[in-house]
Amino acid sequence: MPDTLRQNLKLSDTARQDARDKVSGEGPFAGDITLPGMLEARLLRSPHAHARIIAIDTSRAEAVEGVRLVATGRDLGLLKQTTYGNWVHDQPVICTDRVRFEGDVVAAVVAVDETTAFRAMELIHVSYQLLPPVMDIHEARSDAAPELFDQKHPNVPMKLGRDTRTANEPAKNVLFSYDFEDGDIDAVEAGAAHVFTDRFHFSRIGHFYMEPWICVAQQLTDRIELWSCNQDPFVLRQDLSELFGLPEGHFRVRTAYVGGGFGGKSYCKHEPLAVLLTMLANAPVRLLMTLDESMLTLSQHDGDLVLTTSVDAQGKLLSRRTEIDLNGGAYADASAQVCARAAYRSSGPYRWQAYHAHSRVIRTTTIPAGSYRGMGGTQASYASESQIDMIARRIGMDPIAFRRLNLIPPGEPFKDGDSKVDADFAEGLDRVVSDLRHVDVPTDGPWAHGKGFAIGLKDGGSFGRLGKATVKVTTDGRVLVLCGAIEIGQGATTVISGLVADVLKVPREWVRYAAIDTDVTPFDQGTHASCATTLTGNAVWRAAQKLRGEILELAAGELDCAAADLDLREWKVTGKGLSLDLKELVRKKFGRFGFELSADGFVQYPKEADAPFGAKHLYWMPHWVGVSLSVDRETGEIHINDLVTGVDAGHTLHPGGVRGQDEGGTLVALAQTLFEEITYNEEDELAVPTPLDYRVARASDLPDRYQSFILEQGMGPGPMGAKGVGEAGMLGVSAAVANAIEDATGVRLTSLPFTPEKVLAALDAAAE
Amino acid sequence: MSDLIALKFRLNGVGRTAAVEPQVMLADLLREQLGEIDVRVSCDQGVCGVCTVLVDGIPTTSCLTPAFLVADREVTTVKGLSGNATGLTDVQQAFIACSAFQCGYCTPGMVVSATALLAEHPSPDRQTIRDWLDANVCRCTGYQTIIEAIEMVAAQRQAQAQTTTAEAAD
Ligand code: FES
Ligand code: FES
Repeated sequence: MPDTLRQNLKLSDTARQDARDKVSGEGPFAGDITLPGMLEARLLRSPHAHARIIAIDTSRAEAVEGVRLVATGRDLGLLKQTTYGNWVHDQPVICTDRVRFEGDVVAAVVAVDETTAFRAMELIHVSYQLLPPVMDIHEARSDAAPELFDQKHPNVPMKLGRDTRTANEPAKNVLFSYDFEDGDIDAVEAGAAHVFTDRFHFSRIGHFYMEPWICVAQQLTDRIELWSCNQDPFVLRQDLSELFGLPEGHFRVRTAYVGGGFGGKSYCKHEPLAVLLTMLANAPVRLLMTLDESMLTLSQHDGDLVLTTSVDAQGKLLSRRTEIDLNGGAYADASAQVCARAAYRSSGPYRWQAYHAHSRVIRTTTIPAGSYRGMGGTQASYASESQIDMIARRIGMDPIAFRRLNLIPPGEPFKDGDSKVDADFAEGLDRVVSDLRHVDVPTDGPWAHGKGFAIGLKDGGSFGRLGKATVKVTTDGRVLVLCGAIEIGQGATTVISGLVADVLKVPREWVRYAAIDTDVTPFDQGTHASCATTLTGNAVWRAAQKLRGEILELAAGELDCAAADLDLREWKVTGKGLSLDLKELVRKKFGRFGFELSADGFVQYPKEADAPFGAKHLYWMPHWVGVSLSVDRETGEIHINDLVTGVDAGHTLHPGGVRGQDEGGTLVALAQTLFEEITYNEEDELAVPTPLDYRVARASDLPDRYQSFILEQGMGPGPMGAKGVGEAGMLGVSAAVANAIEDATGVRLTSLPFTPEKVLAALDAAAE
Repeated sequence: MSDLIALKFRLNGVGRTAAVEPQVMLADLLREQLGEIDVRVSCDQGVCGVCTVLVDGIPTTSCLTPAFLVADREVTTVKGLSGNATGLTDVQQAFIACSAFQCGYCTPGMVVSATALLAEHPSPDRQTIRDWLDANVCRCTGYQTIIEAIEMVAAQRQAQAQTTTAEAAD
């Protein structure tokens, strides 16, 4: 591609593709779909963390006028399989004999309207026999803990690459385990100058996407149609097919705009139940959750991370052992992926002679945990970047110099067999160090001031390693892009439409992004792992270039010249002093009813047994963070004076989009660092059951000064060196804040969130 | 069934009538009965501001406001701000220029709040903007781009006002 065109591919001045739909409130989102005769479904949930269901009396609820049906675990006859989940299928579509967390689904009411459904729900009587709850991972592994499941589940083994073992349900209350052993770690440790072991606790937060979870399903004569907020329509279609024992094509999944997900709308959730209800009711059914219920659907993983790291006398990192236990909550969801990735990623952006990682997902009677923006990389970056700083201070080195000495340079494999690092970690580190502004703060009084830095890191490119797209153009030159990247806020439609407009040299307004519908959209494995730009983007880019080539060939035939001599712009072909209107040409070739020229694009990245994850990671996603803060020694309160964060977009396709991903993720991570947390109280009840109790970041939680930057290091695998940045913002913040607190006070905090109480307790402990 | 309350009010400049049960909230009246899908609901508890509309110009969480309370009042949703079917207000345009939204679910409420803020404080400082926006949660953007959009509108309006004054003086 010529350089002149490259410059055009900055979409900086262009509005987002979805701009009008969103600022005018038009949508649509799935909740805007209304079908004739549509019924409302609402769910009755367990008030107990762990209990046996003895009996359910639905008769009074069924007698309420306007109630169509009440479904319970007795009504699963239409399903071939009654449990689902990723790798391990352990989550019941609706509970049959036991509930395993406060919020587990016990019954569903289908009624003419919401009010009737709620009224009826209050009349359902469930008798429970309470069982001992298992609220954290230590309890779950104790001898006294009950087994949360009576038997093993249908499952799919996770096959990865070299030096790696995984196991599903290997031990009591253990969902999954992952082991990776690279190098002779005992020998390396024996020769080290220092070996340090540190333990970290990572907290858990909710996704808190603003569009509550929803699914609208309808039974047609011979198939099921659904509108969902799920970001993986094709994965969902496959899961439904397996659960109901019906062909995939039986299900037509349609996706509108998705009102945020952050991982919480990936993979199958309660869609099978919505489908079951529409089949039982033989009418369209809307299953709409409240935001409280959305919070009960999935959460992030809390957990313990223990790192043992060896270093030589000159400050070279030698080896690391990583031990991670994550709280998977009641059911599998995508915990296994998070677990494997957290362990692999805990080596951070550094070189090692030996690296061993062991991680497990432990089951508890709490909200199921699963995909969460950062996907284990958040936990890993927090522990790793905390410990790197601690070690630097212990051996008397400057934390920045210590990092610089050990970073993997660009072009070197992340680990043997994995892809080469496509980011310059040092450049971003220098940038945060130089951009973090000196803040004039009072030096008297209770305030202690400090600065901290971190390089968060995760890989991009998940199991969905392929992309597919079709680009077609109507007789009048207007373009339609078909691909499976869901617009969940990340700006996928903008980036992808922009790429097509630039290749075909048409105005952006001429490109339309087709609605997502599994009947017509090219197959996609899910909008995951910040891959809309790299995977789907590449497929779209190829399709557009192929189409451009075909148009030029067509014109060349007509003009009797070589395609290479021609140029395409705004549906005209020019060259050799000629200008050809393509509308006329298409009519001439295909008749007066016109035609649609189209081309397909496909990319697939190969599996490689030598790669630790069974395939090379697509790209590397750093998050550079610098923070200046003050700690009030009397109250324990932390005040952020200045915050600088940065990402590597490779090549920026939409600056507003990239910036928004970093800043949005960063503020969520900052909230998690300082206050946001899902907790249970002494009675084992959710302490934050509603949005009223659950505190998320608001505008006044923004630091006084916050500047984000975008590097374009140009080494990504996407179009023109682009890469994804969607999860970066979560990664580096917690460690940078912990490092700054130690810089300010000499005290190290290792348990998130760093609330004033915890800060004070740590200061008191240090003073003793 | 409880007794229905009949009410008349103006919605985005058009006179409307409705009959509602006393417990029906304004958000449900607008969305479910009148098909105003640009009014979105998230928390349904008055916490997040997603459902914000103007009632006689005052930003109001419609999920917590009983519908009968808007009798004889003027209700404005995001769709009604520009006063015509196709146009966008300067606030909406600034949201686009600043990429002040991502998933867009909070955006209608955000735009309505921002509009009311600028009506009350034509040139707000950062602290005022932050305090005001505390009524609206956005989980996607991190708020900075929203704050910038509001500042952009304030600056534009001020520049315009100056030009107008200068022209008037000529
Ligand atoms: S939906 Fe009304 S304030 Fe949240
Ligand atoms: S743009 Fe998604 S919640 Fe604000």
